[in-house]
Amino acid sequence: MLEDIISPCKADFAEGVQTVLRGHENRSRRVVLLKGNLVQNSRNSSSGISARVTKGGRNGFSSIGSYTPEAARSVLAAATENALFLDARAKEPGITFPAQPSGLITPHRDIIDFEQKRFIDACREVDAYIEKTYPNLISRRIIYTEDSQDKIIVTSDAASGHVTYPRCYIYVMLTAESKAGVPVELFRAFGGAGSFEDNFSNLESMYPEIDNLYGKLMDKAEGVYAEAGTKTVILGGMMGGMLAHEAVGHTVEADLVIGGSVAGPNLGKRVASDLVSLVDYAHTAFGEEAPLPVFLDDEGVIARDVTLIENGILKGYMNNRDTAERFGMEACGNARAWEFTDEPLIRMRNTAVLPGTSTLEEMIASIDDGYYLIDSGNGQADLTGEFMFGVTLGYEIKKGKLGRALLDTTVSGIAFEMLKSVDMVSNNITWSSSGFCGKKQPMPVGMAGPEMRCKITIGGR
Amino acid sequence: MVDVLERASVLEDMLKAKGVSKYAIDVSEGEMHELNTELSNFTLYRTIFSNSASVVVYIDNKKGSASGNSLLDEDLQQLVDDACSGAESAVADEANDIAPYQEPEVFHTGPYEPDMDRFYDRMEEMLTSIEQEYPKILLMQTIGSYTKSHSVYANSNGTRFESFDGVYNVGLEFAGNDGERTTGINGASVCMHDLDTPILDLSLLRTMLSNTQDSLYVVPMGEKFEGTVIFDPNATGSFVDMLVENFMSSTVIVEGTSLWLDKVGEQVSHESVTLRLQSQDERLVVQSPVTEDGYRAQNVTLIENGVLQSHLLSLYASRKTGRPVTKNSGSCYVLEPGNTPYKELLSGVKRGLLVGWFSGGRPGVNGEFSGVAKSSFYIENGEIKGTVMETMINGNLADVFKNVTGISSELYSDGIMAFPYVRVEGITISGA
Repeated sequence: MLEDIISPCKADFAEGVQTVLRGHENRSRRVVLLKGNLVQNSRNSSSGISARVTKGGRNGFSSIGSYTPEAARSVLAAATENALFLDARAKEPGITFPAQPSGLITPHRDIIDFEQKRFIDACREVDAYIEKTYPNLISRRIIYTEDSQDKIIVTSDAASGHVTYPRCYIYVMLTAESKAGVPVELFRAFGGAGSFEDNFSNLESMYPEIDNLYGKLMDKAEGVYAEAGTKTVILGGMMGGMLAHEAVGHTVEADLVIGGSVAGPNLGKRVASDLVSLVDYAHTAFGEEAPLPVFLDDEGVIARDVTLIENGILKGYMNNRDTAERFGMEACGNARAWEFTDEPLIRMRNTAVLPGTSTLEEMIASIDDGYYLIDSGNGQADLTGEFMFGVTLGYEIKKGKLGRALLDTTVSGIAFEMLKSVDMVSNNITWSSSGFCGKKQPMPVGMAGPEMRCKITIGGR
Repeated sequence: MVDVLERASVLEDMLKAKGVSKYAIDVSEGEMHELNTELSNFTLYRTIFSNSASVVVYIDNKKGSASGNSLLDEDLQQLVDDACSGAESAVADEANDIAPYQEPEVFHTGPYEPDMDRFYDRMEEMLTSIEQEYPKILLMQTIGSYTKSHSVYANSNGTRFESFDGVYNVGLEFAGNDGERTTGINGASVCMHDLDTPILDLSLLRTMLSNTQDSLYVVPMGEKFEGTVIFDPNATGSFVDMLVENFMSSTVIVEGTSLWLDKVGEQVSHESVTLRLQSQDERLVVQSPVTEDGYRAQNVTLIENGVLQSHLLSLYASRKTGRPVTKNSGSCYVLEPGNTPYKELLSGVKRGLLVGWFSGGRPGVNGEFSGVAKSSFYIENGEIKGTVMETMINGNLADVFKNVTGISSELYSDGIMAFPYVRVEGITISGA
């Protein structure tokens, strides 16, 4: 854990500029077992100090991989010089960000380090269970991955604080041979925020879920190709979360709105059916701590929730201090940086489509010919809201009942069109938090959704 | 300034003092200067000073590794301790190894000091040119960076490579926008060693801006059909990357799940396909002289005239499977150009798509893919009719390279890789 040696450096902040000084350490641990072979066994840590100095809305930034008061003073000087470099060449006057509420934010969560042996032993134990229980698999991968951020933030005109974000996961990936003799795969991530002990003190608790994953894989090995075209489907909670993040969330990041996203001309307008509401939660959701809680962002803004869509109407954007001023909105703590070398960017935190009132059983029973699309391997979307999600697990729905499993396929659509077709929303949601969002820098994000019945374009043979 | 050679020697001494007889280390010092613009205005100037050290140790055929960004004595010692502790906890595997002794070499690539004033001027010139020549382009963000590093690789077999690298890179994110309509987001990047050429004249930048501007006006395409696709050089690169990952990479060969597991020496693609991994090539700016295993990198031909010459295997995968190691870590791809000008490739298409980039999931190990064709245009009777939206392409990765019916004589490089246009038959196209 970082010790606060940088707060006294506030005395070195330059006059007439806006300054954020950040001490920052990242750690990662990784173990990969491939068919029982240990193919990766690594530990990484990086730490240093960065300074962002803003003059007239133009930012100078500098970082150095050293954590000393001297290092803090050197990045403050370099960042100030860079801000002045841009300011001297600017053709138009810039803006000054309004001051933010001050305060000292220090939520407590220890980053607890364990020896690599614990991770290797855990992976081997899970691997041994799978090898013994399911000898017919043609391959298996067990991956332990852990990352943590530890930040001390000191600002000239906003809040300061000390925040920590540890999380760890075990990925289980299974490969079997399909009836056509080609490999098919499924994976599942276990874990969440916190340390190894918080998540994996009882590995056996994972086994029923691994058994379930194997069962689904056997279904998939007998699977069929989806029929291409526009279909009525139920998007599972994981798919709903992917939609919340990729297809809608990015379009309502204010920097992308400025870049011409479809959300720009749609503020205050209907973009979804009135069953759909979307919120980016800061640290608490539905009365519990969100999967990846954020309390203070890297501009010193105290984190609050942002309502993005309410009953189908687009209500707001996610902002940093700059875009909040430009749009006349409030900054709510979305500006985050991944490593000490990185400047803060507008990022999602825990983005969720809110649950409705239907049950999954009712939803399946309501479909005569369609698909239940449960899990996604990846997804992409762009400024227009056109999205693509890979579907790794799904089933046919025929006459209100689940049918055969699907082989890998893809769904696509335009988010604000597709969301208007949502006519049933389930009464529960599924969170996921193991991934990284990529936007110049990686960033851990949480996402969630309920099951949603809608129309969507599905790829197939 | 850090004495990288001295720090590497200190690290090696620590490993020897700990009794480690097999190891590899990397020590480097670097600096980056980065200019960022939003909507053609300079908004951020970033300067980063960074060091890094990594240690891989092998104790009784057990491997452990650790890395960090401090080169202080106590932190280097911590890396040694962490790597050794990791190795002692690991599983013994006789396939773990490092490359044998290689002749020492010092590599110099690119300028080792930046000219930021001139770089700023080149960036500003590019912004002005785009504003004047492409009025329907909304330039969301550009990132212009100069990065340099001084690094040392050494291992316990006596190998020692030293590198001095400097490179400029410009990346652009843009969309077509006429005030009412907006296209999807598009991106391009290019690397360079000097600032002699206007940035916009490099690589495919003008073509990509022009195509994005033309993507504002969508034409209907009709029902699903099986047609011809021309992949532009960027899309070609994506499919080459997926091909290597799916059928030739260490993971799928060790797993035994590659459909090309026993196909070396056999025809796997159309005879016009020749795919190389170049560690040094005058068509590329970036060079990769040292492999992750510690070999002096060599140029490697993966597919020649459609025949699979080699998988892309690390030393570990090589020893694990008894197959030859690939002395190239795999990033600088060149798909050799053909003899047909791009315009002739286009004129031969009865019905199909020109695909700018592919937005899709990584195919399963069986090679089946489906995804959205982005920045793509509908072609009928050899003519581009207009852009398409919500259009998906489906097929099999291996079949794509079997069903090639033409490769352009034009080759485009972003400085890291080089690809031509490639025409392929038998792709399922479904769209609005």
